[in-house]
Parts: sequence; structure tokens; C-alpha cells
Amino acid sequence: MAAAAASFHVRSAGAVRRRAVNALMTGALWAAALSILVLLAFFVGYILYLGAPAISWHFLTAPPSEVDAGGGIGPEIFNSFYILILTLFFTTPIAMAGGIYLQEYARPGLFTSAVQFCAESLATVPSIVMGLFGLLVFVTMLHWKVTALGGALTLTLLNLPALMRVTQEALASVPDAFREGSMALGATQWQTIRRVVLPSAIAPLTTGIVLIAGRIFGETAALIFTAGVSVSTGRSAYDFGLFHQAETLSVHLWYTHSESLVPDAARVGNGSALVLLVMVLIFNLSARFIGLGLSRRFMGK
Amino acid sequence: MITMMSMPAPPDGVLPETAPKMRVENLNVYYGKLQAIKNASLRVPKNRVTALIGPSGCGKSTFVRALNRMHDLNPSVRVEGVVTLDDEDIYAPGVDPVAVRHRIGMVFQRPNPFPKSIFDNVVYGLRIHGARGRRHLMELAERSLRHAALWDEVKDRLNHSALELSGGQQQRLCIARVVAVEPEVIVMDEPASALDPIATSKIEDLIGELKKDYTVVIVTHSMQQAARISDYTAFFLMGDLIETGKTRDIFFKPTDKRTEDYITGRYG
Ligand SMILES: Nc1ncnc2c1ncn2[C@@H]1O[C@H](COP(=O)(O)OP(=O)(O)O)[C@@H](O)[C@H]1O
Ligand SMILES: [Mg+2]
Repeated sequence: MAAAAASFHVRSAGAVRRRAVNALMTGALWAAALSILVLLAFFVGYILYLGAPAISWHFLTAPPSEVDAGGGIGPEIFNSFYILILTLFFTTPIAMAGGIYLQEYARPGLFTSAVQFCAESLATVPSIVMGLFGLLVFVTMLHWKVTALGGALTLTLLNLPALMRVTQEALASVPDAFREGSMALGATQWQTIRRVVLPSAIAPLTTGIVLIAGRIFGETAALIFTAGVSVSTGRSAYDFGLFHQAETLSVHLWYTHSESLVPDAARVGNGSALVLLVMVLIFNLSARFIGLGLSRRFMGK
Repeated sequence: MITMMSMPAPPDGVLPETAPKMRVENLNVYYGKLQAIKNASLRVPKNRVTALIGPSGCGKSTFVRALNRMHDLNPSVRVEGVVTLDDEDIYAPGVDPVAVRHRIGMVFQRPNPFPKSIFDNVVYGLRIHGARGRRHLMELAERSLRHAALWDEVKDRLNHSALELSGGQQQRLCIARVVAVEPEVIVMDEPASALDPIATSKIEDLIGELKKDYTVVIVTHSMQQAARISDYTAFFLMGDLIETGKTRDIFFKPTDKRTEDYITGRYG
């Protein structure tokens, strides 16, 4: 192939070298991309290999055990979803309202910059520090002890900036031509936002929210101090009590590997890791498909 | 003068003068420090088509966006002067810009249908202003789509996304959307510049129909188009409104040398 090309073009030494460098770089970048794929495949494969033997209907539904072997993770799975839903319930309205304000209404100025700066700073707080803050406020100051609500509120603080960012970016992706078209028909700004801008931003918004949901689902450090390391001491293991402790799946994983006394801690830990990984992958995949499906439906493509 | 002979003649039947629907007096518009419109004054006669012509960048879009207070959406724009609709200053304190835009509709250079169904696009403004009921909305949608000469092409697929339509159909949909809310004035900013000749001539025919019920202001960079469809013409150059008058007069006996130079093609 190179010979055929040479017969058509006069080549200087420089051109040959540039071509070689180009080929080399293309190869290197392709190899880097491939290695990500291989790493993920290896990682998932290994977790699957370790965790698969632990998975059974009993494991997925039974309560955990404190001392004996044979404990399950049913309540932990339940708590993970419960705290996720609570967190989204608090985070979504505030973050979306803030994002809409900053993107659609705010005029540049001191207040806007201050809000933006606070959000960015909040976004950089390590989750363990946020957990400590939750411990001080919800557990100690308000005397709630470790609770599902305290955990969810801590996660709300942790994820508010990211979801606000997602909202802002989703709104920024809507062409101004839509806004102008609506305003030129005599719509108010709020009507424009509600009927044109938000529906047009539904795909990136949903994708962003589901991705953040995956992150909330897997969050650990912020929950250890705030939602606790045991499942509810209430009547039932599947417990909606806002003020009961609520160990999530990810916290359980940490706990079995570091503090647990059960003889089959490794089995429980590996099984939990697999379930957690699968759940988070499901969140990521569904974010993609929901986004695609919605943009097809609303954009007519 | 040879070049003028190749121009299409402006509409022959000279229409009687009408009262001004809108008046612009000493309008200045600034983008930050840049002054894009300098002390422009214009009368927009009722039920007539007024064309704004001039080379690109001369301020035509800036001028028409001042007519329905679109500049309010951009905090860095400053508008000074008087713009009246039926002798009422639309920039007077206490005037609601939303109400102004309800009465003065706008069609943009690039068709901008919403990512919704054709039906939802047409009735968007109606719903905004409180119209309800599927049957009622359907009647109004049909009327507007017929008015915009689009009904036959879309009547079987009103529930399809408006984004499936061709560019020319999208632009007529945008016109139907404006017509549906029954504004008094329709402002169009180069509505056909992104369209092919066939779609363009459909839009031009449509504008001739629209002036029976509406007052039309249209920006165009095509002098032929201005000559074909307008009754009055205003010529802009670098932010100045150089000359206004009946389209025939502007094209055949311009009083300003710069207008003549532009008409005869001495500017790009
Ligand atoms: N949003 C804007 N910000 C700053 N300058 C602008 C903006 N829009 C237009 N201008 C400037 O104002 C002048 C007039 O522009 P415009 O009204 O778009 O002209 P036309 O529509 O006749 O082509 C140009 O110099 C243009 O660069
Ligand atoms: Mg323009």
C-alpha cells in the first residue's frame, strides 16, 4: 500500500517521518482505548467470577446475619433503593430549580457568581467529609442518631451541585431559537421554560439524573456515619422508617470486609460487590437508552 | 438604469395610503458600546407590506427586533426612542412586553419549529393564551394551516414531529403558528433566505395573502423579493435608515445617491 502511494506522490524525508508519527500515534491512541475496554471486561469478569457462587434467591432476599454464616442482603438492597429515592426526592426539585434559575433567569452579577462559586466548591467536598458533616448535624446536633433520613439528606448535599450542573448543561443545550420562537408568540418566560425548554432538554436531563442516581446508589463514605452499618432495628427488615438506621448495599460491602464477624464474610462481600456492580451498570445503560429513546420521541429523529 | 429593467416591476395597482399601524421615531439600538441603529424613523402602514433592505450587517434584524421588544431578552442591548403600535408607545413604562409580542408576531430567518408535533406547534400560542378543547383547537389549527398554505401537505400527519417537515414547510408552519394567535402585525426576518426557490415563491405568495388581514414587515436581502412583494421599502446602510417610501419610488426614483448605488448593485 505504501509502495503504491509512493508511486503517486513525491515524498520528502519529512513527509515520511510525519506519516510514521501519525501511524504510530493512531496506533497508540487505539491501544489506549482498547485497554479501557479490556480493563472493564477483566474487572467485571473477575467480580462476576468471585461473586457468582454467592448469588441465590435466599442471598438476595434474606436478612443479613450478625454472627452465623448464611446471611443475605435483602434489606440492604431495599435500603439502597429507599435512600436513593429519598435523596432524589430532595435533590431533584432544589437542584432543578437552582439550575433553571442560573441558566434561564440569572443575569450576570455578584449573586449569580456567588451561587455558582458555592456550588462548585460544594462539588469538590470529599464524600467522607460530607459524611462527617452529616454526623455532626443530623446524628449529634439534632439527636436523630443514624437514620435513613440523615443519610439521604447528607447525600442530597453531596449531589446537589452535580445535579444542578446537569440541569444547567441540559438547558444550555436547548437552542435559543426555541426560546425566541416561544417568546415571539407572546409566551411568558415561565411558559417558555415549562412548555418548550424543559421538554426539549428532557433527554440530557433524564440521562444526567439516572447517572447521578447510579452514583448515589453506590455512595458509601457519606453513609457510614449517617445511615449506619446495620439494617433497621425496627419491626421489619424492609422498613420505611425515616428515623431508623438503614445500612445500604455499598455500606454493607465495606462493613463485611472490615468489621464483620461472620465466618462467610468473603462470600457475602463478593456477592454484594457483584450485585452492586450490576445495579450500577444497569443505571448507566438505562441512562443511555432512556436518553436515546426520549430524544427520538421529542426531536422526531 | 439598464439593471433596473431586469428587476421585476413592483406591484402595479398602487394601493391607497393607509394609516400607520406602527411608527418608529428616533430609534437607537446599542449592543454594549456598538450602536447598531442610529436615529431611525419609519412609518409602517396598516395592511401593507413594508420591506427592509440593505447589505448584511446594516442593522435590519436589530431594527425589527426592536419592533416587538425581542431585545428585552438580551440584557446587553439598549433601546432608545419611541415605537408605537396604534399610537401607543410599546416602550412606555408599565407596558407588558409579553402583551406586545402577542400583538406583534415574529417569524425568524431560520425556521424554528418546536420539537413537538405539527399540531402542537400550530396551537402552541393558542394554548399559551388559554385556548382549550381538542375540537376547538383542531378547528383553529386547520384554519391557520390553510392560511399558511400548508394544510394539504400536513393534514394526514398532524401528530408527526414538525422536525420531519422540509425547511420550506417548517417555515410555513412557523407562519401558521404566528397567524394562529392572530397578531396585528407580523414581522419576518428574512423568512425565505434559508429556502430553495420553490419554497421561497410559496412564502412570497403567502405574504401577499397575509396583508389582507395583517400588517407585514419583512426583512430581505433580496431586492427582487422586496420589489415583488412589498408596497413600501426602507433602505438601511450601516445602521442608518437612508431612505423610505413607496417601493416603486425607492426602486425607480430613489432620492439618495446611496440608495441608487445599492439598487443598481454597486454594493455587494
Ligand atoms: N447580539 C449581538 N451582539 C453584538 N453585536 C451584534 C449582535 N447582533 C448584531 N450585532 C451587530 O449589529 C450590527 C447589525 O447587525 P444585524 O442587525 O444583525 O444586521 P442585518 O440583519 O442587517 O444583517 C452588526 O454590526 C452586527 O455585528
Ligand atoms: Mg439579519
